[in-house]
Amino acid sequence: MPPSQANYAPSLDKLIKSLKSQPYEASIEALIFLLKRRQVKGDDCAVATAHILLQVVARSKWHDVDQLLGRVQSVGSRLARAAPHEPVIGNIVRRVLGLIRDEATEDRNNADDLGSDSASDIQSLAPTNPPPQRPAPTPVLMRSNTAAPGGLQVSKSMFNILSAATAADTPMTGASTPLSQAQPASVHALRTEVINGIEEIMDEIQQADDQIASFADIQIHPGEYVLAYQPTKTVERFLIKAATRRRFTVFIASIDPIEPGSGEKPYAALRKKLNSHGVTTINLASNGLMAYIPRVNKVIFGAKVIYQNGGLLVDSGACIAAQAAREFLKPVIVLGAIYKFCPEDPSDEAVISELGNPSSFVSYADGPEVEALDIENTVTDYIPPSLVEVYITNLGPQTRHHLASILADHYKVEDIGYSLHDGEV
Amino acid sequence: MSKQGGKGAAGKGKKPAKAGGDDKREDALQAVIIADYFQDRFRPFTLDKPRCLLPLVNIPVIEYTLEFLASNGVQEVFIYCGTHSEDIEQYIHESTRWSPNSAISPFSSLEFIRVSDATSVGDFLRDLDKRSLISGDFILVHGDLVANIQLDGILAKHRARREANRDACMTVVLRSVGEEPHRAAKARGITPVFVIDDTDGRCLQYDEIHPLMKDRRLLLDPSAFKHGSFELRSDLIDCGIDICTPDVLALWSESFDYELPRKNFLHGVLKDWELNGKLIYTEIFEDGYAARASNLQMYDCISKDILERWVLPFAPDSNLMHDQSYQKVKNNSFVESGVLVERGSKVLQSAIGKDTSIKAGSVISGSVVGRKCQVGKNVKIKDSYIFDDSTIEDGAVITHSILAGGVKIGANAQIPEGSLISYNVEIDRDVRLSTKPPARISAKTDNGQPVENDASLVGPGGKGAVYSVTADDSDSDSDDEGDGDPAQLQNNLIYSLEGLNISTLSVSTLASEDDYDSDEDDEHAGYLHAGDGQRERLSSFTSDDASKPDAFHGDAVNGLVDALRGDDNADFDSAKLEFMGLRLANNASDSSMRRAIAVAFTKRAAEMLTPEHGGLEPAKAAERVLKDKNGAVKFIKDVGVGGDDVKQQTEFALALQKGLVSVRGLEPSRAGTLLAALLQQLYTLDVLEEDGILAWWTDRRAAEGDTMTTVKERCKVLVDWLEEADEEDSDEDEDDEDSD
Repeated sequence: MPPSQANYAPSLDKLIKSLKSQPYEASIEALIFLLKRRQVKGDDCAVATAHILLQVVARSKWHDVDQLLGRVQSVGSRLARAAPHEPVIGNIVRRVLGLIRDEATEDRNNADDLGSDSASDIQSLAPTNPPPQRPAPTPVLMRSNTAAPGGLQVSKSMFNILSAATAADTPMTGASTPLSQAQPASVHALRTEVINGIEEIMDEIQQADDQIASFADIQIHPGEYVLAYQPTKTVERFLIKAATRRRFTVFIASIDPIEPGSGEKPYAALRKKLNSHGVTTINLASNGLMAYIPRVNKVIFGAKVIYQNGGLLVDSGACIAAQAAREFLKPVIVLGAIYKFCPEDPSDEAVISELGNPSSFVSYADGPEVEALDIENTVTDYIPPSLVEVYITNLGPQTRHHLASILADHYKVEDIGYSLHDGEV
Repeated sequence: MSKQGGKGAAGKGKKPAKAGGDDKREDALQAVIIADYFQDRFRPFTLDKPRCLLPLVNIPVIEYTLEFLASNGVQEVFIYCGTHSEDIEQYIHESTRWSPNSAISPFSSLEFIRVSDATSVGDFLRDLDKRSLISGDFILVHGDLVANIQLDGILAKHRARREANRDACMTVVLRSVGEEPHRAAKARGITPVFVIDDTDGRCLQYDEIHPLMKDRRLLLDPSAFKHGSFELRSDLIDCGIDICTPDVLALWSESFDYELPRKNFLHGVLKDWELNGKLIYTEIFEDGYAARASNLQMYDCISKDILERWVLPFAPDSNLMHDQSYQKVKNNSFVESGVLVERGSKVLQSAIGKDTSIKAGSVISGSVVGRKCQVGKNVKIKDSYIFDDSTIEDGAVITHSILAGGVKIGANAQIPEGSLISYNVEIDRDVRLSTKPPARISAKTDNGQPVENDASLVGPGGKGAVYSVTADDSDSDSDDEGDGDPAQLQNNLIYSLEGLNISTLSVSTLASEDDYDSDEDDEHAGYLHAGDGQRERLSSFTSDDASKPDAFHGDAVNGLVDALRGDDNADFDSAKLEFMGLRLANNASDSSMRRAIAVAFTKRAAEMLTPEHGGLEPAKAAERVLKDKNGAVKFIKDVGVGGDDVKQQTEFALALQKGLVSVRGLEPSRAGTLLAALLQQLYTLDVLEEDGILAWWTDRRAAEGDTMTTVKERCKVLVDWLEEADEEDSDEDEDDEDSD
């Protein structure tokens, strides 16, 4: 009998496979619903967003940079609205917008024979000066912008906050005359450049976990006791990498009650790998976690997103662990790739946190409980910045005070102001 | 037959990666949606809109079904529509997401199929068989399905079984809801009972039990025992998802009289297993959600589940529809953009649609309010569903009701629990709707004509009249869930059970229906651990079984009273015949027959006491009622009492007493005199013996409550006399014995 498999449910892999063969509008729509159904979540959102934006850049019709920016913004805000609980999408959209602006500047500079003085590397640490012919919503502003860099840049971004929606709605205003003069050839070149840039972002996302893991042996010392609260893939890789070099003990705390009879212990695969390197692992139920905190040397989390104030979103329950660690003065280490750094302050909704299906706590079959209780199953927790000691990014360990410079390096001020959630409906 | 999906090459499929090469293997998953139910459960709302377009938490129900199919990677969809098919087609074609012409549709094709002469789901499926559109396994669902489960695993298992055995033709997807009484379990109305082989999930037998059945037992097919171990499950919700092979359609075609997918088809195919050799399997899942909004109670239940996030990703703030913009706000509520909630008003665990305004002092809890509604000051809305464009003026109170779109509720009006108010009805200010029975108001008749306004109901300035549920023959015949007995009366009652009483009320109604056979009830509970058995039993003790009508009872009593009233001195035999026919049709128990007869005779006798009917003396009336018609006495003796047993006679006497107590407008003392007269007549006619009457006299049940006691006391003379006679009798007996 041949192994019969039914694999009909849509998934990210299938979507990526079919990207080329269907209109990009259909792909966007498919992703929106994958996001709404939570068939794509977490780190996959970043990859998916990058793939879709790549399609938008490569296949949609656009004649100048403004148009392209508008297109990316509108698609980006549709995606972001589909999954308001996944700010990573917004980060990627902003990264791509920034990328387009950079490339456009460079392009034009070349075309005008002004030479390229702005950095083409998107990860370049040097803040780029605002180029003279940057597409701006109004000519007035553009002029003021050309005159004074630095301080006025902020005012420009503030202006953008107000005008963002209009800009997105009407990307082809006569305001952007300089750009409409762009040669078809340069559009083509820009397209290629931007596509390359997005591919770089995808590579970055892919390699982030490995890069973070490479800092593992600096952070984890021999003989330490490390508490990992619901280790994400990033944390798993980090621990395994550390295990190759160091001997230590890992407490794995998980919220999922180990149901009798379900057999599989949580994180069995991770434990096996760690054990094979000679690292002892101990599973904890999250409610028993406090007793172990005094013994622990450090606590490690994988962040879902890191806000500009240093606060972060994590799996629910982690905040208690972080607070316990604080009480006992144990350092809390947060692992988060650069693309998870969000240039926004946490919104109220984020702090209130996303709610999940109550059925992980109460079975729907349990009639009286279903009727009598209001069950709030928070999926994410917000950890305030004061509880975090150090952030380990793929560019190395950072403290809270340096987050601003990281954000400045990776996002354009214009895009930071652009609110993804209030685009056109 | 309407448009084919015209998406062309560009839009062909979301996953064309698999397209080439393996034509042999059916790779496009197909699904069939049955979007007509041949029911009138959602009347009067369905006069305006088909059921699958009614909003469930402000989204048409069919959106949930389509999204469920899309989330499972279904490629080709066929929709069978019946009534309002134009509306459904128009809706789909105008939808940006589902329209077959839309580039973003997740389906590669979506077709409507109309069958002009269909009267049941069976007709649809037989039609589908003829069309040979189905190439492989397909998913059969109903247009009112709300589910978030993933079918991949179940499809894989189904396929494995089919490859192992060609006859494994269908997998029924079920959800366990536990044994505890539960809102979903209560709401389903009918309890499906599956006999399942617990080793491989094969379904061995299917039956349905429901509270109105006279005899709630299940005949277990002895062949089940050949399977070693099996389970009897009554704790399941049948969410109507079937994974079928084309063989299933052939089976439908073979049996032209099957109408309902469960009651007829599943039951029949399993019963005739030895003939057709087909195997049907069940798949029971514990995690995830699936249910059908198949009646108003399920509608209520699913709405609550959605608000409480049991059905994620179907939550209002997932914004399933493109034009939605729900956000979660405090108090577990969901509010769309443009909603104006004035200071001092509260929104608790509710969803409020776009551009609705809520004035100060209003409290909305556990409810769903549609778009562009106007809610005035100090309005209280609790557990209710209000569709778009409704206006609720200051101070109105709405509890656990459904208000369809465009409804206008005047200031300080009170809409009590269980009211159903259809589209465009207007209720004037200060009107209080009654609770018994809950109001069901429509502005249209069945034919779609505007009704004459009933000012006594909706107030002088109101619009609308009572919508009475008529048993529309063609509809209720093929009621989907198969309301058990062929008798339409039960259909109606089920209807009223499910329709009129949204949840909380239904408990008591259920119980009162039960009382009829409360003796069987206990048996039943022991017999099957039916999910709601315990609850029903509890309430059956609390409620009095005297005055609750049921289908059989009502008809039987009317028939008999008519026969007794008849002027012609005709024989009582025809009435008897009719009565027995009714009894067979309803499978009525002895006790309910006895009750019906007692009530009929007492009713007639009491009627004779009134001046309009001659104002006879009780003694005379008792004599007339028993002797006027030939055969009446014999009828009572044979059918009413049903034997010479003392116990049966006691029961009959008790039934007479209760019957008299429940006659309206008859004061207890007079009722007592009449009872005494009746008993005496029956005694002299040898229908009741002194033992029976004396046993009744001492029976505890005869003295329950004040009226009962008053009525009883009047018979003391008779009893004393009987006791004397009895003593004499016993003396004689002794003499007899002596003489032997």
